[in-house]
Amino acid sequence: MVRSACLACAFACALSCFAGDEGLDPQVLLKPLAADWPTFNGDYSGKRFSALSQINQQNVQRLTLAWVLQPQSVDIKSSPLVVNGIMYFTTPDNVWAADARTGRIIWHYYRESQGDHIGQRGVGMYKDWLYFETPDCHLISLNAKNGSVRWNIELADPKLGYFATMAPLVIRDHVIVGVSGDVTDIPGFLESVSPETGKVEWRWNTEPNVGEAGADTWPQEGDAIRHGGGMTWMTGTYDPGLNQLYWGIGNPNPVLNGDVRKGENLYTCSIVSLNPDTGKLNWHFQPSPHDTHDWDAVQTPVVFDDEYKGVHRKLLAQASRNGYFFVLDRTTGEHILTAPFIATDWAKGIDSRGEPIPNPGKEPKPDGTLVSPGSDGATNWMAPSFNPDAGLFYVSARRLWSIFYMTAEGKPEGWAGRDRNLWANSVLEAIDYNTGKIRWQHEIGDGEGLAGMLTTAGKLLFTADNSSNLLALDPETGKTLWHVNLGARMAAAPTTYELDGRQYLLTPAGGMIFAWVVREK
Amino acid sequence: MRSKVVALYWMAGLLGCLATAAGQGHQPTPVQRPQTTEDEGAVGRGHSEFKSSCGFCHGNDATGARGPDLVRSAIVNHDDQGNLLGPLIRNGRPDKGMPSFSTLRDSQVGDIVAFLHHQASAALHSARVPGDYPLAKLLTGNADAGKAFFAGEGGCAKCHSVTGDLKGIAKKYSPIELQQRIVYPGSKNIKKAAVITQHDGTRFEGAVVHEDEFTIGIICQDGWYRSWRLSDVEVSVRDPLEAHRELMNQYTDADVHNLFAYLETLK
Repeated sequence: MVRSACLACAFACALSCFAGDEGLDPQVLLKPLAADWPTFNGDYSGKRFSALSQINQQNVQRLTLAWVLQPQSVDIKSSPLVVNGIMYFTTPDNVWAADARTGRIIWHYYRESQGDHIGQRGVGMYKDWLYFETPDCHLISLNAKNGSVRWNIELADPKLGYFATMAPLVIRDHVIVGVSGDVTDIPGFLESVSPETGKVEWRWNTEPNVGEAGADTWPQEGDAIRHGGGMTWMTGTYDPGLNQLYWGIGNPNPVLNGDVRKGENLYTCSIVSLNPDTGKLNWHFQPSPHDTHDWDAVQTPVVFDDEYKGVHRKLLAQASRNGYFFVLDRTTGEHILTAPFIATDWAKGIDSRGEPIPNPGKEPKPDGTLVSPGSDGATNWMAPSFNPDAGLFYVSARRLWSIFYMTAEGKPEGWAGRDRNLWANSVLEAIDYNTGKIRWQHEIGDGEGLAGMLTTAGKLLFTADNSSNLLALDPETGKTLWHVNLGARMAAAPTTYELDGRQYLLTPAGGMIFAWVVREK
Repeated sequence: MRSKVVALYWMAGLLGCLATAAGQGHQPTPVQRPQTTEDEGAVGRGHSEFKSSCGFCHGNDATGARGPDLVRSAIVNHDDQGNLLGPLIRNGRPDKGMPSFSTLRDSQVGDIVAFLHHQASAALHSARVPGDYPLAKLLTGNADAGKAFFAGEGGCAKCHSVTGDLKGIAKKYSPIELQQRIVYPGSKNIKKAAVITQHDGTRFEGAVVHEDEFTIGIICQDGWYRSWRLSDVEVSVRDPLEAHRELMNQYTDADVHNLFAYLETLK
């Protein structure tokens, strides 16, 4: 018995070692999420739903530690990739490869850099190569086998205020990369680079050129459109069938003062669809026209197919930082539904396009304007999840009040002000995408939630509360089924993978990663 | 000693006096650049020189007029103590219509460079509201209307008194702190008060220092921390800040400004 188990083990190892030589075939990314976790959101859909069900409602009480990895790092905010038994995770300036069976570190890449170290979301992978963005806005290709550098290019000038945090998205033979930085008034963009050479294939600017569609949403005089912000902070999603790339775009600059950029300021605070081969825009939808509250629309544009009022539709949904939940037809961008998921007070209503109409009275003022939500948002980078079994969209939401001050005198530059947070508490919400109604709420405590979500075919939802508890919930009801205190806040999202026939739950918390399996009876 | 400190803490919680603001935000971190100590004298002189030599084209504050905005300039952002700007100012950019300023002394060029870096740095660090934010900017409300709101619609007088807990409150806090504490005094020092009843009937009272869906921890009146699984006890919690949170949904901005104008008179 022992011997046959060993043989099976050796066979599995040989298989996975062989597969490891193959690296990650980009064709694998076109398939639904299976045993590995090969891209930031698991698969292109952004659903963060795994079909793995070995860990399920019946045995979740028997979850036990498989291993703990302590890289002695700052808080881990990345989604680790797991490919062929090897895990790749990051913090700013750092990439690690580790054995997904044991948590043992295989190699560590470190490159000191200047620039904002606010967070790092992870790497992208293509064949034997990893793609990593840095605080000084470089894109570095590493050899996945040993962490050696193949090439290193600068995406944008860090001295102008650009930095980078996002996990590149590999689509066939394109590496899609975004940039960060809204402290200075710089324009955002999205690029596709060659996975082999780093050569730029196309660049899509988040502000149109003068004369192009959308340019009329900016002042026609002056340079506002060329300094309008619109960063591409977070990893987008993709529909291989439609060959459409979906991306959430950041807030405009100057951040809290819109006087010098009157108009809707496309394509800031927008969800856009691009052709990943050409960078050509298909359609756009703008959750926050003329934003003055830092409510970027970079939250995952989740794609799913479903029956909507009896008709089969290809949908896209986003729970946006401004407190509204949006459902669109992702083929055309046609608006389907807009509904608030927390109490907000900044919009006068919803226009015929389904976009909230900002109330000028709620813009930041020198004497202070009380607004819900504050600039940290009704949600933020925390990964949402969509569970096709339950038909529900899950978001980590915040009730957050803040007073916004516009402090600039003369021409506003940079942020031109700031809000001061007063009070926040956080709640997990399950949204019925057919109605926009909240099916259930699960309170996770005072303060701002930071953890993302994972749902699985084991009828489980994994996330964390604001008291460092890792939670397993029933996705239908929000009821807690299991929990454990990790001793540190989770600022990433749980993920899962299967190795040697065992399902692992992976939960970064603070500067540690915990791996969980079901204890055998 | 420990119990005395805790008791004070506890009192503060029960009285609901204005305490430290909650500050739960994630401030954007400015880009890290080599910082040189700013010479205020040079910045001031540079501003004067800039206005007379450069302001006509670049605006008196360097944010652009006929010529480009220099606060956003790539050259300014790449400049290191005048290594790029110095030659540019002296030689001009004839191809772009900028004349040369060859008669400026080294010290004058240095001062202009100091001023431009000051302006760029101010924009870079503009994502903040300083603690000494001027009262004049905040004082837009009507104190009489604020007084009426305090006594009437706002319901403030149910818990507070301007001759009691709020006496002299405007002396205690800077204007911007006072405005925020009026709306929400913060939960760091104003703790919820809990009564815990065990199954055997034993009761404990204290200030809540930990609360999640599984456990509760309080500092009891004897100064000791105790915690329970929620499934093992009955818990009754009173939150002195609840009225403040309810009011946040009801305030107009005018209410906030009026209330501030009124309480700012309590010197």
